[in-house]
Amino acid sequence: MYLALVAALVFALAPVYWMLTISFKTEGEQFASPPPWLVFTPTLEHYYDAFVTRAFGQYLLTSAIVAVTSTACALVIGTLAAYALARFELPLKLNRRLSLWILSTRMFPAIVTAVPLFLMMRDVQLLNTRAALIIVYTAFNLPFVVWMMRGFFADLPRDLEEAALVDGDSRLGALVRVVLPLVSPGLAATAVFCLIVSWNEFLFALVLTQTDAAMTLPVGIAGRVTQYEIKWGVMSAAASVAIVPILVFALALQKYLVRGLSMGAVKG
Amino acid sequence: MSIEFRNVTKTFGGVCVVEDLSLEVRDGEFIVLLGPSGCGKTTTLRMLAGLETATSGDILINGERVNDVPTQHRDLAMVFQSYALYPHMTIAENIGYPLRVRKIEKADRAARVQRVAAMLEIESLLERKPRQLSGGERQRVALARAIVREPRAYLMDEPLSNLDARLRVQMRGELKRLQHQLGTTTIYVTHDQAEAMTLASRVAVMKKGRLQQFDTPLNIYNHPANKFVAEFVGSPSMNFIDGENATIGIRPEHIQVLTTPEDGAIEARVYVTELMGNETFVFLSVGANRLIARAPADFPADVDTKVWLKLANDKLHFFDPVSGITKGTKQESSEFKL
Repeated sequence: MYLALVAALVFALAPVYWMLTISFKTEGEQFASPPPWLVFTPTLEHYYDAFVTRAFGQYLLTSAIVAVTSTACALVIGTLAAYALARFELPLKLNRRLSLWILSTRMFPAIVTAVPLFLMMRDVQLLNTRAALIIVYTAFNLPFVVWMMRGFFADLPRDLEEAALVDGDSRLGALVRVVLPLVSPGLAATAVFCLIVSWNEFLFALVLTQTDAAMTLPVGIAGRVTQYEIKWGVMSAAASVAIVPILVFALALQKYLVRGLSMGAVKG
Repeated sequence: MSIEFRNVTKTFGGVCVVEDLSLEVRDGEFIVLLGPSGCGKTTTLRMLAGLETATSGDILINGERVNDVPTQHRDLAMVFQSYALYPHMTIAENIGYPLRVRKIEKADRAARVQRVAAMLEIESLLERKPRQLSGGERQRVALARAIVREPRAYLMDEPLSNLDARLRVQMRGELKRLQHQLGTTTIYVTHDQAEAMTLASRVAVMKKGRLQQFDTPLNIYNHPANKFVAEFVGSPSMNFIDGENATIGIRPEHIQVLTTPEDGAIEARVYVTELMGNETFVFLSVGANRLIARAPADFPADVDTKVWLKLANDKLHFFDPVSGITKGTKQESSEFKL
């Protein structure tokens, strides 16, 4: 049991370890054979190169703005939609049909939409803007939010909302004051997933942004693979920094994450 | 506040849950909707609350049609079977919620919460969360939340059914007193005939979505409109004997069990006896029929002994054998044979 865990951990963490060490090694040491596993002269030159000489600071900021904004948008719109789907009886079995339709938007490969999106964004003059990415990521995360939150809402006893209505509250008031506080663990879990997806997204960012001002971290990092050289040190330094915000966020919400993911299973 | 149901029907996907219900409730009455599960009593209550919409018919509050008035504007208070306390709020916040929604000043709100809490003796619980409370305490909190504002009527959906027997009887009495004090119209749903008898000023007995009888508890008990009502109200249930052209009903207390033969008494055999402490229920077999009679606690007969029964002839009920509708209580007693 523990052996398997250790093996899995090594497998998962080895690349991270490799990346971290590379980011602190000089270029010479990076390619030494055999590689210096533990003992080497640490250097910060790659970090300096990435965030001072090059525009990685800018990329980081863009990534953060895009991820946070798109997650917030997707949560607001998706939660309202999910609540409606979970609670209101629509005619023509629309509840079920709409839900499936929303889910189906995630069934085709993302690359299929890349070209049409590029053309659309070009036509509305949004290429190379953060807005373009925010719109796309929001749309991309919406089905996920709707399906997650719909499940959480469905698990909640109706009595509570009905009590709120009888007590004189409006639908929206009942949602904000009674329902949302009760599904907050689910909301947190959903938020983390959306953030991670937006933070790591590569394809659309690559297609829709070309300038330093609009580029996100993953695109920026990949951009260091050029025709003539691969800047391993800079890439590793930037990637190491890229891990930090997600790690901090996930740790901060860890309590909610576990509860949120097991919410359906154990009724609290 | 007066309430009226006018030919109200409710169907769920083709199934008729409430059928052509007409019911008038006068101001200050304590009305109990009584019936077995699935009889439409809860749906009726929910339609009044606005949580379900009537398929057809009108619901009137103080003479004004409210079918299209949303729940939050009907100014009713409801106590749910599950109590539906907000789990993330303290007891004080729970009770104060209807006031908070109405944007009542914080100080005023606290004072009113305090007053209601004192009335229901739950002041010491105000800072706790619902999950830290026992069933009986939660029940009181749900009541407190209902009475903290002065609603036009109280709706109660089996509020006592999750309590243990002793607490249920205690709360039943307190509810009755509370309603008497407040004088507010109350509609109370239950399947427990004892609750209906003790609480109601009038009882509406329902079965399969149809109103069977709407009358005072005493009239329901003494003059049931049909066999269903006769059987549902009273514990132990009324005895039924199939006669030649009527089903005859007699309540257990109207059968006298004698240990010696007497003129005109019917011979029977004791099937089993159940001592209740203050009285004994005697289960009897008379030919193919089974009857229950109430006898004094010291009733001596054992299983399978022979006894003789005297029926109070003026307390017999006669029902149509097909429709079950009451044919009257004064028929020739010679007409039936056991």
